Amino acid sequence: MKSARPVVAGIDAGGTMTDTILVDEYGTFTIGKAATTPQLESIGFLESAIEASDYRGIAIEDMFASVEVVLYTGTGMLNVLLSRTGRNIGLITNKGIEDMVLMGRGLQSWGDYSYADRLHAVTHHHPPPLVARRNTHGVTGRMDHMGDEIIPLYEHEVEQAVNTLVEKEVEVICICFLFSQVNPSHEILAEEIARTILLRRKAKTELLCSHQVRPVIREQSRLNSLLIEAYATGGGRKQLKSIEKAARENGYRYGVQTLQSFGGLTSINHPNLHETMVSGPIGGVLGARYISQIIKNDSLVVSDLGGTSFDMGIISKGQIRIDQEPLIGRFKLNLPLIAMDTIGAGAGMHVKVDPLTKKVSLGPESAGSEPGPICFDKGNLVPTICDYNAILGRLNPYYFLGGKVTLNVDLAYEKFKETCVDLLGVDNVYDVAEGMINMLDSEAGVALRRLLSAQGIHPSEYTLLSYGGSGPLHLGGYSRGIGFKDIITFQFAAAFSAFGCTTADFQKRFSRSVHLDIPLDTPFTDLQEAVFTINNIWDDLKNKALEQMVSEGHSADKIGFQPFLLMRYTGQLEDVEVYSPIDKINGADEFDLVISTFRNIYRNINRSVSDYGQTSVSVMEMGMIASVEKIKPRLKKARLGKSKPEERTCKGHRKVYFNGRWEKTLLWEMDEILPGNEIRGPAIIEHPATTLVIHPGDEVFMDEWSMLHYRHQSEG
Amino acid sequence: MTEANSLNSVLRKRLEESETMLAETGCYDGITTLECRDMDPLKFETIHMKLRAGCVSAREIARRISASPGVREVGEMVAAIYTPEGDAVAISNGIMVHVHTMSRFIKWMIRNDYEHDPGINPGDIFANNDAFIGTVQVPDVMDVVPIFHEGELVGWAGAVCHELEAGGITPGGDVALAQERFGEGLFICAEKIGLNDRIRRDYVIRCERNLRMPIYWILDEQAKVAACFSMRDRVLELIDEIGVDFYKRISKEFIEEGRRTQLARVRQLTVPGTYRSNTFYGHVTKGKPGFQPLGDPDWLYSIPLKMDIELDGKIVVDFEGAQPWGYHSMNCTPAGMDGGMFVTLTQHMNFEGLVNDGAWLATQLKLPRGTWTNPDSEFCATATSWALLLPAYGAFQRMLSRGFLARGFLEEVFVGQVNSPMIEMGSISQYGKPFGIAHFECAAAGSGALAIKDGLDTAYVGWNPESDMGNIEIWELDMPMVYLGRSILPNSGGAGKYRGGNAFMSTWVINKSPEVRIVTSEHSSRVFDNAGMCGGYPAPTCQKHRVVRNSNIYQRVEQRRPLAHSTGLDQNNLEQFYQGNQQIIEGPHIAAPMKEGDIFTHSYNGGGGYGDPLERDPVLVLDDIIQGHSSQIHGERVHGIRFKGTIDDETLEIDFSQTQKTRKRLRTERLQDAVPVMEWYESEKDKVKQGDFSPEVLKMYRAAMDLSEEFAQEFRAFWQLENGFAYPQNEQVDLSNE
Repeated sequence: MKSARPVVAGIDAGGTMTDTILVDEYGTFTIGKAATTPQLESIGFLESAIEASDYRGIAIEDMFASVEVVLYTGTGMLNVLLSRTGRNIGLITNKGIEDMVLMGRGLQSWGDYSYADRLHAVTHHHPPPLVARRNTHGVTGRMDHMGDEIIPLYEHEVEQAVNTLVEKEVEVICICFLFSQVNPSHEILAEEIARTILLRRKAKTELLCSHQVRPVIREQSRLNSLLIEAYATGGGRKQLKSIEKAARENGYRYGVQTLQSFGGLTSINHPNLHETMVSGPIGGVLGARYISQIIKNDSLVVSDLGGTSFDMGIISKGQIRIDQEPLIGRFKLNLPLIAMDTIGAGAGMHVKVDPLTKKVSLGPESAGSEPGPICFDKGNLVPTICDYNAILGRLNPYYFLGGKVTLNVDLAYEKFKETCVDLLGVDNVYDVAEGMINMLDSEAGVALRRLLSAQGIHPSEYTLLSYGGSGPLHLGGYSRGIGFKDIITFQFAAAFSAFGCTTADFQKRFSRSVHLDIPLDTPFTDLQEAVFTINNIWDDLKNKALEQMVSEGHSADKIGFQPFLLMRYTGQLEDVEVYSPIDKINGADEFDLVISTFRNIYRNINRSVSDYGQTSVSVMEMGMIASVEKIKPRLKKARLGKSKPEERTCKGHRKVYFNGRWEKTLLWEMDEILPGNEIRGPAIIEHPATTLVIHPGDEVFMDEWSMLHYRHQSEG
Repeated sequence: MTEANSLNSVLRKRLEESETMLAETGCYDGITTLECRDMDPLKFETIHMKLRAGCVSAREIARRISASPGVREVGEMVAAIYTPEGDAVAISNGIMVHVHTMSRFIKWMIRNDYEHDPGINPGDIFANNDAFIGTVQVPDVMDVVPIFHEGELVGWAGAVCHELEAGGITPGGDVALAQERFGEGLFICAEKIGLNDRIRRDYVIRCERNLRMPIYWILDEQAKVAACFSMRDRVLELIDEIGVDFYKRISKEFIEEGRRTQLARVRQLTVPGTYRSNTFYGHVTKGKPGFQPLGDPDWLYSIPLKMDIELDGKIVVDFEGAQPWGYHSMNCTPAGMDGGMFVTLTQHMNFEGLVNDGAWLATQLKLPRGTWTNPDSEFCATATSWALLLPAYGAFQRMLSRGFLARGFLEEVFVGQVNSPMIEMGSISQYGKPFGIAHFECAAAGSGALAIKDGLDTAYVGWNPESDMGNIEIWELDMPMVYLGRSILPNSGGAGKYRGGNAFMSTWVINKSPEVRIVTSEHSSRVFDNAGMCGGYPAPTCQKHRVVRNSNIYQRVEQRRPLAHSTGLDQNNLEQFYQGNQQIIEGPHIAAPMKEGDIFTHSYNGGGGYGDPLERDPVLVLDDIIQGHSSQIHGERVHGIRFKGTIDDETLEIDFSQTQKTRKRLRTERLQDAVPVMEWYESEKDKVKQGDFSPEVLKMYRAAMDLSEEFAQEFRAFWQLENGFAYPQNEQVDLSNE
């Protein structure tokens, strides 16, 4: 292992810990951890990089000299947003709508709530605004949705607003006018006026306009994107620069990269850094895309089960689903984000019985890592899913986190009996514990089915990937009965998201809002204007993308392009993202190809009854994704050996509770299992960072890439 | 229907049997033990979770397909799964008000022997928007499809959207001008609109030819049907998993469990006994164009409520003493009354349980026949029934909250919902085509205060707890008006230790259209239709519309002179800034069309306050002034705060010692002004006896006493009037409308 050269260093700075994953040219990796140092993230970055290098037995300078990509992601900027510790900003907007910073969208007061709290209206509240109302200034002027100037911009009011904000010493002045995505001339004029004033007053105030940051319809989402860019990314950029400096001082030769929320790598000099704010969780989807090439199935469902949430994503025929308007930190943004559906269901989640109604409920509270489940013995007395796994023998009390934590199973049993089992009036504690686990599995399974059905896809064509620290523990339960083509987990399931981040390619995504209504019953010859517009925009975007990619040092012949459109039936309000098979429309057949691609996607998602009688489609946004492949970890391929594992792999046995009875269950060490091995359940495969539970009758097979395939008994 | 048919109707017989069993055992469908739950409580929970997830994802499918900003932007829809008898088993999130209204629709079809004619078959699609069959108002169009398993009806899937255009006498759907059913718009009366999983072409043609903006209705119809099919698939999948007999049993146990949970929650959260509340609504239409001389143009409605919480937790709400229905659009059917009750309960006590029709079964509404809550003429209009429903259920929320307070659940106390007036428009769009739309930004009013914090600003309406106002840029795509302003309406929440949530006001200038009809509804004039609690003040009555026709806005723009973007604190900005034909319109805006350059304002309502305003933390008052939520003068007069500095130069701060003194003085003055209750009673009694009221008040009492002997007796007893006392019919109703 020491002889292999590390090629990618992926660093993920979380709220508490910074993880470094070092990947060598054979895809083997080592992981280093250190405490995150929020004041100066480069300290934690270097410490975790040193630990990862130590595991490989190389000096940090050698590591940095060797790697070709340093990829840094983190929750630093998100934490700035959530803890409201960002910059002091000012806003100039249309006169009359200044209160939108307080009013928000009503939905932001409940949008990220559970089903119960969405109904329970007394719990609703607005997120605190990012810009003070007194720092929000309205100036007269209005564009309408066609881009026509209804009221010209009152320049003297802009001057007054800028002067006031400069006197108040705001760090950034944001400018956001209605329909600037259609006609930005008022924003451009206001910016020019502001720049002149700043120059004259020698003020260092930054300026940001909404049409530059996010030229997409829906003013609240555009404003939120703009404000977050101004509020939270300033410090983030400094941190990224300090990391690049630290890496370079230790021998790194290139620029540090970070990850955009739609999955592309970009330089830390990326102009809109808020696009990189949510990047950690999407790593799993990127890793899945990479795995899809190895397993030769481009349709996958990913599932990440951690302590507090169950995250799911989909790749359909190689296309990653993008959420165009996600909620981030309780704000609605029109930022393309790899779509991950999340439900509050994790191994650290409380499961309680209501003393009054005897109803059993899962979450939404969770024990977190401190104090953790009851069995951690750090003071929590509310049972969690983790406690039930310990009570039923599925977790090894002496091998949790490789033995770093010893689980107090007796305490968990006692508290569980007292607060749940006795209330339900059931005799068998273990039956109830198993029922609780089944509830979590079932909730996760239902969420997966819902995701599949919402996208109109059939599981028999899809491979399920399961990862996250608790993924393998519950995989057998939550995937049962859905009928996936294959189910895969990994020895490195706990680090799969970090691994996934290191597989990303360099990418830029350019898009432009348009509004083209295309009647479907019109002959192609009458659609020349629309076709001309489409071709022109794609051309423009392609040139822009090419220029930027080349300026960042990529060779023009290595750049690949993927044109896309956001389309809907005319009159609708929700778009379907269509990856166009062509980047220029030359004739009627090619035009029909684009329309039929849209129709197929629409019909798949929304059922055939919804595709009835529409006579016109609308294109609302057009875009171009430019990509350059980056060096990636390679999974090591080995020859398949015999199906029976080596005897030394087996660690013995213990009694584990399955389906209402205690079963003698063999225990295996995950890292010792070899390609070709098959293990039949009931069995537990242990790893310091995760535990794979094989239910009775099910089996697990390790393939030549060391991936673990889970097969349900009934599904062959 | 022939007798033979009726006897052969299996479904109808089943429904009657189910109701008999409920009456005999007190348990839903005679389910006295929850066998499935007792056998495996966790599996029980899990199966319900699957059904609910099916409803939630079906609603999301529908939101993607819809063309209506009401559905896509502000989520005006709900989806649910029903038993064969039409009782809701599981429900999505959304406009919960319609869960039991759809239930009534299904039961109506069963009672009217749809099994034989027109038949209930696999692949059928039924729709309804007739409030007397089961909905609240014409724009609430619901679709249901039967779910068959191997030839047996095992349930129904249903979805409802609020349509933004219903083809009534004025554009939109909340048609304030409708005085009878015949002006409300396109009615679909429990009609089979589809066969073999397809919506009928002739039905679509009817919609296309009878609506101003058919795309909303038709695409929503497709959206709802797709949602129903999705739920149907989920149910059939579940049946494959657990077996049809088990499904049939457990789906009913879910409802019985919902009933028991509701009772248990009431026992846990409240104190049994009788609670009373009253609220009012003032409807002013005299002199407005278009009204037919059918009845009184102006109405004052008294909305008395009595709530009995029985020892087992059953809630009985009685509307005895309510006024008769009238020739206006605010009447409500029992379906609408059910809906109001249901949506309120899910927000207070059913949010985390098995949300379904069980909660409804654990309650009882007494709706006296002939009142606006239960009209005895099915010709009457219900297009704006929310106008009376929201105040009524706001009063219900305050009664419940008194129960929570008595039991010590301070954090659950909620002053509750208010009216949120609707604006609708139509005629010629900015694209030069006919259009019509209800603007749903009203789905984001202010909420009442809580006992522990201020109400929610601009983000709550009673009919849908997932409230939202949508983006300006989306609304402007569909209307020939551009916003000059959308701003918080200062002081619009009722004052209190915790204030009610504030509302907002929108100001538009008509753009690129030679003719726009603007109509509004649900404005209570002159009387409060909401209230405060425990010393909190009600929110103000609704704002008047300010209109400037033939405004000089573009001349001002040419000269770069300042524009008015709202009416301002003194309500006179428009008059001060613009020349033109200024109008101040009280109540619903029903007027001649407007045109490019005309200016229009419309305001929504805030919620009532909680607790004595003199107990409000001065720091909160200061913060409200800085944010623009209230004015300085309001802080001084209502909260007794004394300030130093000024707001303009950002030096405003509290003078704590002066504030303390002022508050002390105000408390003393209050005591000096106070009169013992009996003294007040004696002086008031004479007025009551003489009928010394304004004409509207006199008519209000007389109408209620004429209709309800029970109310009349109670009224006489309270005011010590002689037996048989009645107010004479001594004035003519003025039908001239002038």
